Amino acid sequence: MTAPLVVVAEDDEDILLLVATRLGRDGFDVLEAREGRQALELVRERQPVVAVIDVGMPGLDGLELTRQIRADESVRGTLVVLLTARAQEADVRLGFDAGADLYIRKPFSPTKLSTSVRELMKRKIGSG
Amino acid sequence: MDVIRRIPRDVRPAWLFCGVGVVVTGMYFLLQRGATSQSVLYDVIGVTSALAIAAGVRLNGPASPLPWLLFALGNLLFAVADILFNIFVNPATPSSADYFYLAGYVFLVAGLVLLLVHAGGHHRVPALGEALIVTLAFALFQWVFLMAPLVRGEGSVAHRAVLTAYPAADTLLLAGLAGFFVTAAWRTVSFQLLVGSLAALLVADEVYGLDRNAYSNGSWIDGMWLLSYVLWATAALHPSMRELSEPRRVRRARVSRWRIGLLVAALMTAPTVLLVQWIRDAPLEVPAVVAAAALISGIVMLRLSGILRALERLRLRERAARGEALAAQAALAERNIRLVEADQLKDEFVALISHDLRTPLTSIMGYIELALDPDEEAPLDDEHRRYLEIVSRNSERLLHLVDNLLFVARVRAGKLVLNLNELDLGELAAEAVQAARPNAERAGLTLSLESNGPTLVEADHARLLTLLENLISNAIKFTPRDGSIDVRAFGSTSGATLEVSDTGIGLAPGEAELVFDRFFRSRNAMERQISGTGLGLFIARSIVEAHGGKISAANRDGGGTTFRIELPLRAASQPASDTAELVA
Repeated sequence: MTAPLVVVAEDDEDILLLVATRLGRDGFDVLEAREGRQALELVRERQPVVAVIDVGMPGLDGLELTRQIRADESVRGTLVVLLTARAQEADVRLGFDAGADLYIRKPFSPTKLSTSVRELMKRKIGSG
Repeated sequence: MDVIRRIPRDVRPAWLFCGVGVVVTGMYFLLQRGATSQSVLYDVIGVTSALAIAAGVRLNGPASPLPWLLFALGNLLFAVADILFNIFVNPATPSSADYFYLAGYVFLVAGLVLLLVHAGGHHRVPALGEALIVTLAFALFQWVFLMAPLVRGEGSVAHRAVLTAYPAADTLLLAGLAGFFVTAAWRTVSFQLLVGSLAALLVADEVYGLDRNAYSNGSWIDGMWLLSYVLWATAALHPSMRELSEPRRVRRARVSRWRIGLLVAALMTAPTVLLVQWIRDAPLEVPAVVAAAALISGIVMLRLSGILRALERLRLRERAARGEALAAQAALAERNIRLVEADQLKDEFVALISHDLRTPLTSIMGYIELALDPDEEAPLDDEHRRYLEIVSRNSERLLHLVDNLLFVARVRAGKLVLNLNELDLGELAAEAVQAARPNAERAGLTLSLESNGPTLVEADHARLLTLLENLISNAIKFTPRDGSIDVRAFGSTSGATLEVSDTGIGLAPGEAELVFDRFFRSRNAMERQISGTGLGLFIARSIVEAHGGKISAANRDGGGTTFRIELPLRAASQPASDTAELVA
């Protein structure tokens, strides 16, 4: 079984490395993106199972990136996990409205993030 | 000025003299009219009164005794004149009695003027103007009805001059009285007695002057003169006479009905005199009437314009004051708005900072977790592990603080939204107790839970858990080792109650209400240097109030504190907002 492919989009270098390290150790194949447009290209090119996206990125932000993934026929099935420092009710609703599958608030436990991604994948396989 | 009034002085000599004087005056009329005994009694009253005035000066010791000594002298001259008048029995004018009488007037008028000056009345030009108007009007009467007929009458020049001098003296006396009256120092008893005495003297003089042939000893006019003596002496004996020569703070001129009436009456004098003379078919005295009318009109006009100017000044001052008040009000409102804005800005700032603190915290906490990962290829030794665990614990504390700040900012912005579901309060309490047990055990405390079966309420599970965790962690913080913390959850038909009791340091008096205020720190906590931000209980109250419930704190018998929360069975969701506190 090949390692599931994950795109991690995060402008904060430290958090990007943190997520990439955890997911890498947990058996994911991780592709890193430092801003939204680059992430969108990666998603379109490599068709990952999961995209872990930071909401507050310069340029194309996480919400817009999610919308574009959902609008693209070829990659709309990608699982989207949003990471954000803003997690009020309104923010969460915006995230889900954009099409996110999971919404994780900073600071988060990398282990729990990894577990959540696994569960999300299992659920997806289970449902379809 | 109150100091002067407060000095207690003996009023008895004054009233004793007054009483005896009035009784003796009454006796005067019981004696045979025209008898020597009557004349002697009259003279005795006069002389005694004059001496009593001098005695009053000695008794009361006014700051300036001179006016009163002049009064005493004036009255003594009158009394001497009375004696001469009685000795010679209605002597022909001019007699020695006349000279004494006229000299008496001079001293009385001088005394009045001095009194007026001592009281600072000479600085009050408007009041003096009014006195002048009255005097001029009176002078016109005196001239037309008394003096002019005398001047043109029969007799030697000396005879006519002396007779004319009386109404002239009365005019001067009235001028003194009017000046004294309108500029007046103090409306004391002594003042009233003095005015009464002068009025009696003037009335008697006028009636006598209008028809001197009708007078004989024992007439009622004598009564008036005697009364004048007695009242004058009483005024001098009364302790309040001291104040008559004390300067008084000038009050603002008022446009009273009394003043306007006075001015109108003054203007009516000349026409009235003309009318009376015309009816009597007497000489019209045109030059005198015209001169007096012109003078009176001129002074009245000056007074009126003075009053108008004063009114205008008053109006301007009032307008300025109103403008200032409005400006102050506007400034206050402005500042209030600024304060509210500053407060909102602060809340927004806190929210922003709280968000921005989350990103570095993600790295700190995340990398600690990575470092502590047991599957790590090169595991940490125990010492480094312990260090990182300490960093981890403190990161949790920092995160808790950031969460609290954000929560408070949200509450204050009115953005606290509840996610309501039916839940069992007993279960929730068990969950909170379970979570807090490790901390309680570390602190050496017994943590117990008591509940009376399932208590179903509609509430926000996460918020209520935060609430209970806050209260329990507070209790742990404020309870010394070997103490106990009891959590109780019980329901009734009307609602549900949660209680968290501890055996801790308790609240200082008066703090039970304050502990729920934002940033409030209890005195006991400060004294023991127990750290905290003063946000936990504010958050607790916000959560309870958002559920439509009530929270209270009270000292427990035997030490410690009990926090009691009452929740309705069905949460009447209401946003807990404090944003209005500054506006109100």
